[in-house]
Amino acid sequence: MHADAILELRNLKAGYATNAGFVRAVDDVSLTLHRGEFLGIAGESGCGKSTLAYSIMRLLRDNARIESGSIIFDGTDITSLDEKAMNEYRWTRMAMVFQSAMNALNPVLSVEEQLVDAVLAHKQVTRADAKKTAMEMLELVDINAERIASYPHQLSGGMRQRVMIAMALLLKPDLLIMDEPTTALDVVVQRSILQKIEELRHIFGFSVIFITHDLSLLVEISDSLAIMYAGKICEYGPSREVYASPDHPYTKGLMNAFPTLTGPISRMGGIEGQAPSLLSPPPGCRFAPRCNVAIDACTKEVPLLQVTSPGRLCACRLCGGNHE
Amino acid sequence: MIRDFFKTLIKNKKSLSGLVLLGFFILVALFAPLLAPYPPKTDRVEHTTLLEENKGDPEVLSEETEGQNREKSVYTVTITQKYEKTTEYFPTRAKPSKDHILGTNHAGNDLFSQIIMGTRVSLFVGLATGLFVTFISLSLALLSGYLGGILDDVISFVTNVFLVIPGLPLMIVIGTYVPMHGVLPIILILSLTSWPYPTRLLRSQVLTLKNRDFVRASKMIGERTSFLIFREILPNMISIVMSEFFTVSLSAILGEATLEFIGVGNITVVSWGTILYWAQANGAILMGAWWWFLPPGLLIALTGTAFVLINFGIDEISNPRLRKR
Amino acid sequence: MNNVILELKHVSKHFALSGLRNISKVVHAMDDVSFFLNKGESLALVGESGSGKTTTASVIAGMYEKTSGEIYLDGQPVLPFKTREASLRYKKKVQMIFQDPFASLNPTHTIRSILERPFLIHKLAGSTRELEAMLCDSLEMVGLSPAKEYLHRFPHELSGGQRQRVNIARTFAVSPEIILADEPTSMLDVSIRIGIMNMMLDLKEKKHVSFLYITHDLAGARYMSTRIAVMYAGMIMEIGPTEEVIANAVHPYVQLLKASAPAPQEGVRKAAIPAKGEIPSLVHPPSGCRFHTRCPYAKKICSEEVPAMRDIGNGHFVRCVLV
Repeated sequence: MHADAILELRNLKAGYATNAGFVRAVDDVSLTLHRGEFLGIAGESGCGKSTLAYSIMRLLRDNARIESGSIIFDGTDITSLDEKAMNEYRWTRMAMVFQSAMNALNPVLSVEEQLVDAVLAHKQVTRADAKKTAMEMLELVDINAERIASYPHQLSGGMRQRVMIAMALLLKPDLLIMDEPTTALDVVVQRSILQKIEELRHIFGFSVIFITHDLSLLVEISDSLAIMYAGKICEYGPSREVYASPDHPYTKGLMNAFPTLTGPISRMGGIEGQAPSLLSPPPGCRFAPRCNVAIDACTKEVPLLQVTSPGRLCACRLCGGNHE
Repeated sequence: MIRDFFKTLIKNKKSLSGLVLLGFFILVALFAPLLAPYPPKTDRVEHTTLLEENKGDPEVLSEETEGQNREKSVYTVTITQKYEKTTEYFPTRAKPSKDHILGTNHAGNDLFSQIIMGTRVSLFVGLATGLFVTFISLSLALLSGYLGGILDDVISFVTNVFLVIPGLPLMIVIGTYVPMHGVLPIILILSLTSWPYPTRLLRSQVLTLKNRDFVRASKMIGERTSFLIFREILPNMISIVMSEFFTVSLSAILGEATLEFIGVGNITVVSWGTILYWAQANGAILMGAWWWFLPPGLLIALTGTAFVLINFGIDEISNPRLRKR
Repeated sequence: MNNVILELKHVSKHFALSGLRNISKVVHAMDDVSFFLNKGESLALVGESGSGKTTTASVIAGMYEKTSGEIYLDGQPVLPFKTREASLRYKKKVQMIFQDPFASLNPTHTIRSILERPFLIHKLAGSTRELEAMLCDSLEMVGLSPAKEYLHRFPHELSGGQRQRVNIARTFAVSPEIILADEPTSMLDVSIRIGIMNMMLDLKEKKHVSFLYITHDLAGARYMSTRIAVMYAGMIMEIGPTEEVIANAVHPYVQLLKASAPAPQEGVRKAAIPAKGEIPSLVHPPSGCRFHTRCPYAKKICSEEVPAMRDIGNGHFVRCVLV
């Protein structure tokens, strides 16, 4: 384990049972997150990025489970912790912001009750102190502290998401996981929330895992970038480098899939076909059926995530790097 | 679409067992006269045998010739027949025996036969009310939900008014005043009290569906209103309509039994409810005559279970969240 | 200019709120919207949710009755329809692509029974054989081939992208002259969005249709259109040639929108933007300019009078008093 690593995933496999069978949504994922790092995980719907987030928080649904592998948080493998021990970590050391704040906030409790309860559940402080902490945190996310008495429905979508962020940061966690936190919001509101997170990160120094399908956003805001496809990480590296020179054909396709606001307008390519079902993933490289440079060998052998250049990994037998 | 719906129902264990149970009751009702050992309202068995027959000599009354090749005569013959008739009265309030597997009631009617024949009435009242109410409330829901406007306001208002009137007292009041001939009045009374809830439920479903994009898209290519209602909206309501049908049928069977039991219905009809009515009027429960009140009660419960099981199945099919994970 | 196919003049749409407490209150979903669409042109209508862009499309489609103003098709005022024939004639020319591919196909119908309806309603096919050929053509036109493979399927057997292709095939079935595309790619996966966009661009060229492309994504609007109109809180704030509006945004809101959009190619994290507040309530829209509550440059006059659309040359119009 690296000295400054806050989170390390080793060969994590997780999935959920459905009527049709077991879906392994996270298949053999290894990742390292450093202290203070902003990691973006990009992938399309159904690629397993949300299952990955919920696995790290150990908040999987009843029908889902972690099959194997380890999640090492600050030196402790949390996959083996029991529920009580896990509660010591959850919300205090690692917190999560969900996609839909409306579903995550209790509609019949005021913001005050929800924030204060969250503090009291994990800290031995008086109610008055807890409220003070909550109000300070609200001010930090640009919500007037007087609004603490409001109920969720009295707040706009952007404000609710800010309350969620305040709630996640109340106990000063080391890791903040955000699962598509701005997808339901408008661009301007999204931008101001992203700015707020940057600002708070400099104040508190937490690490962030930011999960979204919006690659153009991630490239801009994250330090490092992991691209997920069909349950596996296919490329990892510093955001700038991955954007400037993607290795994996899938990443290349994605980078050519969103129009830009500046520069010449050229015809973009996108990727033909659709992501495979995780119930019966294709043999070999899972991207091979959609890949325009695939060779026969691609459909036979599962490519491993390998170092291509310092700090960069790619799971493609055709991309550069050490093929021994 | 409806065929597909039943195909999925059969695949679900709960609804399959409900359907099997309901099918059994329907078979019993259809073949009730063959299955029942005696007519339900008889208290005796009569045997008549012909002992002897005497034929007297013919006595000519008239004879006439019609034309060349035709003759016509009129005469009488007197026949005397001697019969023996034995009437065996059933014992009253008898315990189960070989002749009467579930005993007899206070009037000496065979209870097993009554229960078999009662299945007919109970099931018919239930399903007929279910069908009638489903038809009425679906029509009202489509009218008021899709067309909206003043019509919707009026229908919603009346529905809401009926919704707050307590059902059972209303049934009792109407039942006391309406002359009872057969089971039709009961079906009408039950329908009158059970249409508002499904109407409201179906209306809200129509409201949801009519704003769905596929309805708007069809409108955009120029579909007529009738097509939108019957081809776009209705097929998407099959499961909720079926579920309402079974719910109303169940409550109608229970309602019929209740009305009959408290004596408001038509006590001359043989149904599970009237059997219970007579049982309680004759103190069957005090005497511990379980064969009298237990079987009809149990059958009402079983029919109810059948409907509930089917509805569980429908729920699981139409609500993906309940689908087995 | 007789090249104009569709024109809106001061069109407004107010929705009455229901319930006793809200009696006589209305939602100002669309106020004083004027623009024109040229033959074969693609105009992007950009705005955040609640800006009135979808209402605008629905009003043009005739799904909502406009409160005031006039809509002209080929120079003739059209809505509301007086007869079913008039309605059908209009729908033969104006079609709409809906946003959600999962909701816009009836789950109980096969692709065939969905796709044959426009041909049947508008009596486009003379015989069953002709209909069959038309069905196959329209599916193959949107890249679903072999068409026979798809006709008997149900919507849930197709992916999101394939469903949106079926939707597009349905709108093109009547050979319309105007397509109202209401965020047709926003519900799709990133990797297949551009494929659908390219297909629409190709179809636009091949079939000579005009597009009103509605989106919240400024970069997508740039890719798809030759002119852009930006809406905010029910009003058009700026309209003009795409490159001009994006490169030289004049209205403070459009500048904010531009600064907020993700811009990976810029290579560094962008400077903070002066974003505050959110879209105002449309029941009680702000007096004067609707953006003044969030505008960093707002002056006293901004809250007093509604600015008029001002021509700043080159077909570029802005609704701001400060310009």
